[in-house]
Amino acid sequence: MKGTIPVLRLGDILLVTVHIDLEDDIAHVLQNDLLVAIEKHGSRGLLIDISGLDMVDSYVARVLAETGQMAKLMGAVTVLVGMRPEVAATLVRMGYAMGGIRAALDVEDGLALLGYQLRPV
Amino acid sequence: MSHAKYMSILKLDEHELRSRRAFFELTDEDLTRLASLRPHAERWTSKVVEEFYALLLGHPETREILRDDAVVRRLRKLQSDYFLGLFSGRCDLDYVEDRLRVGTAHERIGLAPKWYIGAYRRYLQLVHDMLYKDLPADQAGPAFASVMKIVSFDESLAIDTYIAANLETLGRHQAAIRELSTPVIRVYHHVLLLPLVGAIDSMRAQQIMESVLLRIVEEQAKCLIIDIAGVPVVDTKVADNLIKTTSAVALLGAKTILTGISPQVARTIVQLGLDISTMHTLSKLSDGLELAFSMVGKSVRDKV
Amino acid sequence: MKISILSHKAMQITSEDDVVLVRREVRALAQGQGFDSFATAAVTTAASELTRNVFVHARSGEVDIDVVSDGRRNGLRVTFRDKGPGIADIDRAMRGGYSTARSLGLGLSGSKRLVDEFTLQSIVGTGTTVTFVKWKPF
Repeated sequence: MKGTIPVLRLGDILLVTVHIDLEDDIAHVLQNDLLVAIEKHGSRGLLIDISGLDMVDSYVARVLAETGQMAKLMGAVTVLVGMRPEVAATLVRMGYAMGGIRAALDVEDGLALLGYQLRPV
Repeated sequence: MSHAKYMSILKLDEHELRSRRAFFELTDEDLTRLASLRPHAERWTSKVVEEFYALLLGHPETREILRDDAVVRRLRKLQSDYFLGLFSGRCDLDYVEDRLRVGTAHERIGLAPKWYIGAYRRYLQLVHDMLYKDLPADQAGPAFASVMKIVSFDESLAIDTYIAANLETLGRHQAAIRELSTPVIRVYHHVLLLPLVGAIDSMRAQQIMESVLLRIVEEQAKCLIIDIAGVPVVDTKVADNLIKTTSAVALLGAKTILTGISPQVARTIVQLGLDISTMHTLSKLSDGLELAFSMVGKSVRDKV
Repeated sequence: MKISILSHKAMQITSEDDVVLVRREVRALAQGQGFDSFATAAVTTAASELTRNVFVHARSGEVDIDVVSDGRRNGLRVTFRDKGPGIADIDRAMRGGYSTARSLGLGLSGSKRLVDEFTLQSIVGTGTTVTFVKWKPF
């Protein structure tokens, strides 16, 4: 079953924008879609845009961290982009570490982190 | 602040109204009695308002507040309406809102509760005298009792107005203090500096983290320098808060540089076994700035 | 100071969808009370953690969401009740040491750090009740 969250490809980078609540089914389908895409395209980078999430609890945090770990096993570096200040503050206060996932302010910075520069046309 | 806002701050809803009327023993019977006194009240209005302001204008401190003639004229009109309102025979939320409007007007010009309560006492005295003049004694007694109830009820609303205004001011002051105590400075493109001064308790630490995170997004900062030279005590709690802030900042894709580490602080950190390895740490702020510049791809050079 | 209840909403937890519904309700009430984005995120996350706990460990339960006042300020009080297996070692659970089922490990201790008041009562074999209060910051 193909998921409701679209996965975009930018060269050998995958970009996914999470804009809805990541509850059970959606989370697992998304993880699956991402891993299949990494394999299919030989992606070496994964940008997960969570700027649309105004809440990340330990469940969502675990889904994201696990996704990063799975992607790493398949040779792709994961960067979380666009985390909201209140989400960052809450995660840190809860004591939840994001399990080694990299983070960037936005997609542009995320691409830079993965070794890409957006150049003017 | 508008009277409507007061009503919401004071939670003056049906439930509160019923509860307060019950406590003041202000019954429908009282209201009916007051309504029946309306014709008398209309005759008394101008005298009551005159004597009310004579009291205020006759006292040096209150005279000062009522210096402005335009203000006094407007207040006199409000007072007239107010006085007659006591005999309207209703005490619903509309009535409460009306009363708050008057209270708000007086609060805005700085008429303190003590003057208010003193003036209410004058009111009661005037009404008492007029009631006993106009009515037979067996009617005047119960009539005055009803008047006392509604005047007391109104007094409670007037005091609530002052409290609500003060709470609002307190809130604004708190917000201002929070801003002043967390001065996050943009020293360069994508580089922020936070010079911390004074003790950091857990509440302040939280405010600092929140302010810092908001500024990072606002300035798209890649680097935050926190200078702690002005923090007198760095113990486990403070270190823990600094680490938490560093982690949160990292989740926004930025790096933290801690500067202003004195020999004493360095000793404390090592002796307490605090792990601050996630942070870049330096002694001097100037070194921190150079490191921050290099992180955003700039370097500091001598002018040729 | 005595606590008065300004509004009350009861919700049932019977499926994972309810986690989302409880979250939405708490978020809406927090924003309605004027909580800033940080306080809203904190209270919504705590509610999400604890609702999920109920669903994961007890399969069903109830949530009461009250807007309360102590006379000086307003706050949100949320109570989670279930008839699940209960928690044998509460201290260990609160320290975050549990890792039995998925979320319990961090759900309790993490949530506690996000709110102002937190109480937990649990009897093995009978059930668990968790209540938290988050006051609107000045």
